Amino acid sequence: MQTTQYNEEEIMIGEGVGFERIRRITGYLVGTLDRFNNAKRAEERDRVKHSVTSPMERI
Amino acid sequence: MIRQIVKRDGRTVPFDEKKIADAIFKAAKVLGGDNYEMAQDLAHQVVLYLEQQYGEVEPTVEQVQDAVEHTLIENGHSRTAKEYILYRAQRTRVREMNTKLMKIYEDLTFQDAEDNDVKRENANIDGDTPMGTMLKYGSEGAKQFCEMYILDPAYSKAHIDGDIHIHDMDFYTLTTTCCQIDIEKLFRGGFSTGHGFLREPNDIQSYAALGCIAIQSNQNDQHGGQSIPNFDYGMAHGVVKTFRKLYRKNLAKACELLCGMENAEETIKGMMNAIQEETGLYPILADDNGYREEEAKRLGEMMDPALAEHCQQFAHKSAAQETDRSTFQAMEALVHNLNTMHSRAGAQVPFSSINYGTDTSPEGRMVIKNILLATEAGLGNGETAIFPIHIFKVKEGINYNEGEPNYDLFKLACRVSAKRLFPNFSFLDAPFNLQYYKPGDPNTEVAYMGCRTRVMANVHDPSRETTFGRGNLSFTSVNLPRLAIKANHDVDLFFEMLDHEIDLVIDQLMARFRLQASKKVRNYPFLMGQGVWLDSDKLSPDDEVGEVLKHGTLTMGFIGLAECLKALTGYHHGESAESQKLGLEIIGYMRKRMDEESQKTGFNYSLIATPAEGLSGRFVRIDKKRYGIIPGVTDREYYTNSFHIPVYYEINAFDKIRLEAPYHALTNGGHITYVELDGDPSKNLEAFEAVVRCMKEAGVGYGSVNHPVDRDPVCGYTGIIDDVCPRCGRREGEGVSVAHLKRIGAYKNYNADTIGYHGDPHEEADRIPNKV
Repeated sequence: MQTTQYNEEEIMIGEGVGFERIRRITGYLVGTLDRFNNAKRAEERDRVKHSVTSPMERI
Repeated sequence: MIRQIVKRDGRTVPFDEKKIADAIFKAAKVLGGDNYEMAQDLAHQVVLYLEQQYGEVEPTVEQVQDAVEHTLIENGHSRTAKEYILYRAQRTRVREMNTKLMKIYEDLTFQDAEDNDVKRENANIDGDTPMGTMLKYGSEGAKQFCEMYILDPAYSKAHIDGDIHIHDMDFYTLTTTCCQIDIEKLFRGGFSTGHGFLREPNDIQSYAALGCIAIQSNQNDQHGGQSIPNFDYGMAHGVVKTFRKLYRKNLAKACELLCGMENAEETIKGMMNAIQEETGLYPILADDNGYREEEAKRLGEMMDPALAEHCQQFAHKSAAQETDRSTFQAMEALVHNLNTMHSRAGAQVPFSSINYGTDTSPEGRMVIKNILLATEAGLGNGETAIFPIHIFKVKEGINYNEGEPNYDLFKLACRVSAKRLFPNFSFLDAPFNLQYYKPGDPNTEVAYMGCRTRVMANVHDPSRETTFGRGNLSFTSVNLPRLAIKANHDVDLFFEMLDHEIDLVIDQLMARFRLQASKKVRNYPFLMGQGVWLDSDKLSPDDEVGEVLKHGTLTMGFIGLAECLKALTGYHHGESAESQKLGLEIIGYMRKRMDEESQKTGFNYSLIATPAEGLSGRFVRIDKKRYGIIPGVTDREYYTNSFHIPVYYEINAFDKIRLEAPYHALTNGGHITYVELDGDPSKNLEAFEAVVRCMKEAGVGYGSVNHPVDRDPVCGYTGIIDDVCPRCGRREGEGVSVAHLKRIGAYKNYNADTIGYHGDPHEEADRIPNKV
């Protein structure tokens, strides 16, 4: 008795699915930048990282 | 002979001389006139004048109105003419308002949120849904109405021109901003949300459910955030009750199983009730109140004392484990609820926040631990929860140093925050917070709203300097960059103009208060009707609320200190010590004015570092149009938030914290400092903690650490994703095979024991602590 096997190597999941990018805006979290208004989007693009190495540690 | 007249929309309609007579008569009546015949006569003269001017050509409405004015003046009725002119100007304003509003409605209706900035004013609302759009219709209409008919023209003009921003104008005539909800008080004895009474809860699960209900109910009465200042203390009562219940159940089972006790449940229940009645004791987690000894005595009369002890031990251990589990589930349900129930105007979840961290009782600790763990686990597919905003209260002596009772919870808070962006951290040791603190009294612990609002001092009633039951009434922000641009490097002139602006804001805040004060208790069925707001429990449904509202704050805010300093001196306060000095002077001055006004009037005026979502773009848009592009000032699409160092400026985390900290002391109405971390702080908890500790030492009142949190919905990976998912290897939009997902252990199996990542057993092993 042969049961039909789905070939799991061929079944694809996630086509068209993007990544979620959680960002903080005005203090609360939003799962996608799509909902940000234009000004906050611009601000988010500008955000730089703040380094946590203190100057003294650079030898 | 004029037969037709051309309307503004281009249609021609029959001309009616009587309409002119009526209009003239109306204008005359304002001045006390009552001679309709004269009005008719004048109307006829208007017609003659028109025929003279335009012959056979049909006149437009504008031309007719010009003719009326001309005729009235020619005939010596200049005052009537003036009334007519004013009436005409008013009609024009109304018409323009209708047009502008209709245009906004048109865009809301036909544009997708993607193309419509107004729809995206509030990131928390999906502007593409029916309710989201309806909320916007209401909101925009209310704002226009307020601008036209409610506001004093001076305030209206200042707002429209962009000198100030009156926040939440849509709710101007309706309510106040926010409140800290004391759930210990609210739950005691139960409460009502409009229909039906909710009894005092008896189980941690009910406590959590009622917590959500309280937030949602209060959100219906106010437009701003809803916060619980004593989350751990309040929920702890639920843990106590659940433990008691589970202890009783487990003891009964043990006695039945091990000792063959008949009717074990009844018997044990009876015994426990008797103990409570006679001694007031009941089983608690700490097991140090003498209950066990008392119970042992009585059990020993019913069974072998050694067996009795065995049963007690079993009961306690099982109850503790089960209570812990139950608490976790309750916290998980709370987080889920606050992320999914769209109960603010039907279009969004409430702006909820919870404060915790200082309850050192075993029950309070169990609450704190589990709310953190539930947050860490995430929502149904391991997603990061967006609400509530968690604020962990850091306090030396309680949870800051090794060896302190809740230090483990502080470490856990850092671990969870490094992954999930919450909790934020508030610092009770900041001098301006510490001054109120009394150990063991949660009401003296400053609690923040998630957005950053802070209400503690109370000039109206200095004996009630508390957080519970109070909040902000309204706030209005000043456009600092504009004042700087106008001052043209003259700092004295800047201060002069700032002073005038502050005068205006003070008056406007008070005018708005007068409107809010005239409302009655029944306009706020939950906030006031259930006694949530301080002293509202002393009022009856038809009482005006003005007196108790005075416990709230009237707050002035600001935006763009960085751009302001840049305009005044050429440098913002991140790049120049001189500018930092000037910045502190400016904000210090604003604070001084608020304090003076408070002392003078007995109202709680305060200064806030405005949160600014919609506002971040509004002022700069207007200023760019008016003043052109000024480098470092108006050359971006936003003004920097409050006193923050600009987000684009390269600066060390610790320096940023130290530069911003002194502004926290000045902004008694609320403040926050953010740090942006690179990489995944979950892999470098020491660095994360170092940032939080720096905030504490620098005197920051409220702080938050930002880092990218990305998630692949397909395999559940949460962390940093650049272009390729580190777990399953797919790119955005790509598919990945089921076989592959199974191989990496990330195929949907929803194993309850490995919450968070579709049951990925390998995730924990990946975590490697990095050195700083």
